[in-house]
Amino acid sequence: MHISEGILSGTVLAVGWAGTCAGISVGLKKTDTSKIVRTALLSSAFFLASLVNVRIGPSSTHLSLIAPIGLVLGWSSFPAIFTALLLQALLFHFGGLLVLGVNTFCMAFPALMVYLLFGRSVRERTGVISALLSFVSGALAVMTGAGLVGLSLGLTDGNFAAASKIIIMAHVPLAVIEGIITAFMILWLKKSAPEFLQ
Amino acid sequence: MRIRIFLLGLAIAGLSILPAYSHGVGYRDAGLKAIALEFFYSTGEKMSYREARVFSPNDNKFAVQSGRTDEQGRFAFVPDCVGEWRVIVRDEEGHQCEAKIDIAQEFLDGTEKHENITEHETLPQGMDLVIRALLGVSIIFNIAMIFRRKG
Repeated sequence: MHISEGILSGTVLAVGWAGTCAGISVGLKKTDTSKIVRTALLSSAFFLASLVNVRIGPSSTHLSLIAPIGLVLGWSSFPAIFTALLLQALLFHFGGLLVLGVNTFCMAFPALMVYLLFGRSVRERTGVISALLSFVSGALAVMTGAGLVGLSLGLTDGNFAAASKIIIMAHVPLAVIEGIITAFMILWLKKSAPEFLQ
Repeated sequence: MRIRIFLLGLAIAGLSILPAYSHGVGYRDAGLKAIALEFFYSTGEKMSYREARVFSPNDNKFAVQSGRTDEQGRFAFVPDCVGEWRVIVRDEEGHQCEAKIDIAQEFLDGTEKHENITEHETLPQGMDLVIRALLGVSIIFNIAMIFRRKG
């Protein structure tokens, strides 16, 4: 889901950076120092997840873990994902530094969105309903991220509908996979480390 | 009268043949050497049928050639001047790969058999990848510790 350097227009890059800076600023204010280790842990998981390739038919993609990060970290997803994407750009050459603002927003916004929509329900519900809500969170986060990537590309070349259609269709299998992973992760956290979801 | 009709028919036939000659096409061996590149994702998957553009050293704005890679992610072009040529291949999902090829006079003269193009992998491989992954995780936790102490 990383957009490469040199593709997006200056305006889209600027809007991406503005959204990301606002998210990081709120995220840092809302990050409790007692929860900083879990933020680092999930930031590391996101950083490493990009190295895990998932074969989908003839093509392949990599995991993002956007929804589990969002459900656990909430607003802190912005600084966590920004740090991980910055290191991915510097160490693995994924994305780039100029496009970092847009890439962060495309992944951190869906994380925050699922936290605001499903965070409370996922924490309070148990069993199948909690698993179902986690699955929906995982799938929705990936599809929203793909939609934002499509929007960024479409706003640059003026062909939003075509760009979005291709990207959204390509991410449907990943959305299902991430939904399943999110459901298992949340169920495991609720059982083994419920304090993570507090 | 018959001769006139015959001549008129001949003239019409001649006119109908003329455009065919004026739009005639053909081909021959150009006898030139091409640079053929193969583009791929960090997952190893080929960048098949992706949009490709070639920029000459003289013009960074307008592509001198455009087209698509083949099924194997390959794209070839024929450089005709010395300098750095750029080939940009991109897909519809926001991935872009830029190859920079330095063309020497020896290549254009034909005295050098192949231009020396080394494989350029964006994602580090093997032990380098492991070290970078560990370095990244270490940096994340060090940043977290700094925030924790400050808080």
